[in-house]
Amino acid sequence: MENVTTLRETRNSGIHINWHRLLPWVIPVVLIILWQVAVTAGWLDSQLIPSPLSVLEDGVTLWQTGELEKNVSISLFRATVGFAIGGSLGFVLGLMNGLSKVARGLTDTTIQMFRNIPHLSLIPLVIILLGIGESAKISLVCVGVLFPIYINTYSGIRGIDPELMEMGRAYGLNRRQLFSKIVFPGALPTILVGVRYALGVMWTTLIVAETISSNSGIGYMASNAQEFMDMDTVLLCIVIYALLGKLSDIIAKTLESLCLEWQEKGGANQ
Amino acid sequence: MKRKLTITAFLLALTAWLAVAVYGYFQTDVATTSLTKVVVGYQKADPVDISRQRGELVKKMKAKGYKVVFKEFQDGAALMTALKSGSIDYARLGDTPPVVNQAAGMDLVYVGAGASKENGTGVLVKKGGNINSLADLKGKRIAYAKGKVDAWVTWDPYTATAQVNQNAKLLITAKGLAKNRDFVVATRKYAKENTTVTKLFLQYLGEDMTWANSHKSEVSTMLSKTLHLSKKITNLTVKRRSFAFSAVTSAIVKEQQTIADVFYQEGIIKKQINVGKALLQ
Repeated sequence: MENVTTLRETRNSGIHINWHRLLPWVIPVVLIILWQVAVTAGWLDSQLIPSPLSVLEDGVTLWQTGELEKNVSISLFRATVGFAIGGSLGFVLGLMNGLSKVARGLTDTTIQMFRNIPHLSLIPLVIILLGIGESAKISLVCVGVLFPIYINTYSGIRGIDPELMEMGRAYGLNRRQLFSKIVFPGALPTILVGVRYALGVMWTTLIVAETISSNSGIGYMASNAQEFMDMDTVLLCIVIYALLGKLSDIIAKTLESLCLEWQEKGGANQ
Repeated sequence: MKRKLTITAFLLALTAWLAVAVYGYFQTDVATTSLTKVVVGYQKADPVDISRQRGELVKKMKAKGYKVVFKEFQDGAALMTALKSGSIDYARLGDTPPVVNQAAGMDLVYVGAGASKENGTGVLVKKGGNINSLADLKGKRIAYAKGKVDAWVTWDPYTATAQVNQNAKLLITAKGLAKNRDFVVATRKYAKENTTVTKLFLQYLGEDMTWANSHKSEVSTMLSKTLHLSKKITNLTVKRRSFAFSAVTSAIVKEQQTIADVFYQEGIIKKQINVGKALLQ
């Protein structure tokens, strides 16, 4: 919420208001205003659904006690490490299975079986195998992000136009050149969609992971608050997740626009 | 030009992200030490938590060459899984998980028992409603969440929260029905090999409980901070209970045996058990 207002302010202080840039924030801002009005007017029981202002106050208090920064940074640490490990694994597996028939035959079925296991059901197993420390939480995030990246890398590579490959061969490109000039650039848009999706999954898996004997993290903060009907903190955590989700998305989008500039410049897809 | 700006912004954001993540890493408790590690699993606001926050137990154990690490759990089931897998050495549980797990074949031993909490456990009903005795409950829905059901069976601090915040009154307490004690359990293997640790841990935990009895307002402040509950609620909780921790007596074994027998009759556990066997002898 803080971000919303600051964004508006900086943009309003510019020479002219760029309506297109404000447009995405209209619904969130309206929703928050409606929420505040509904609580102030007494349509919602403020015991059950506290107002945005009291949620903000709760955030400030938790910030002052140091709890908020501690939990957010710990969650970010777990998410990042989990994403890095799981993402690389997914990418390598996707690459392997996209390029090699043997690897595909060997591992694809197994991966597809693992993919649909609900993360929640893995928790007892994870506790037994990895204990209750950081590695348990990080490995759950790994499992979460592995599959979207795997599937998108795999299908990105499989989806390369065979005619393009043939043209490459006709030009006398060797295997390595084929990969770096045609396969990888062609698969990149799909891979980046996978990255974007995985960044979302990363946060959702983390909430689940942070309920395993945790005494830190946003997921812990939320489930703990819920246990004691501390609705301010519950809603604060939801807002934090929303903001972190948006932040991840902005990063993924920027990455996309940087990597795929050739498309806009009238490259292969035009 | 614009591309350069985007790249710079992107890298800056990425660096900030990583910096916060690294900071987060140092916030986690991955401390290493040369002392013998003793890992204790607890649940929020239980006797072990009070001891943890007071800090005396850790100091005293350190003086004896043990590093006590506390791990918080959300429920007894997760604690039990962790205990079985050896992730924790001692677990602070309520009265039913040890019974259920002993029946499931786990080789656990009761290491210590807390004081009775019968005054904070009971049946709650809505204040001003038409339920005034247990007999009135016949045919009503039990459990409780804002007017959806008629009665709720729970324990402190939930009982006190409902009394203070949710316009509930305590219809009847567990007095004479169930003691609802806290227990510390360990696997038989660990308990056998670490009798000294158990002895010290229990002694210091007991000392902290004696302290808690004579410092109830400090304990109330402590609980109010950990649970994010108002002092009014925690005062009520603390006022109606006493703190203690000691070895398991034969009377306590009998109480647990009663729970086990009732559970067996009701089909909650599938095997008849002898609670006396879950002691280190």
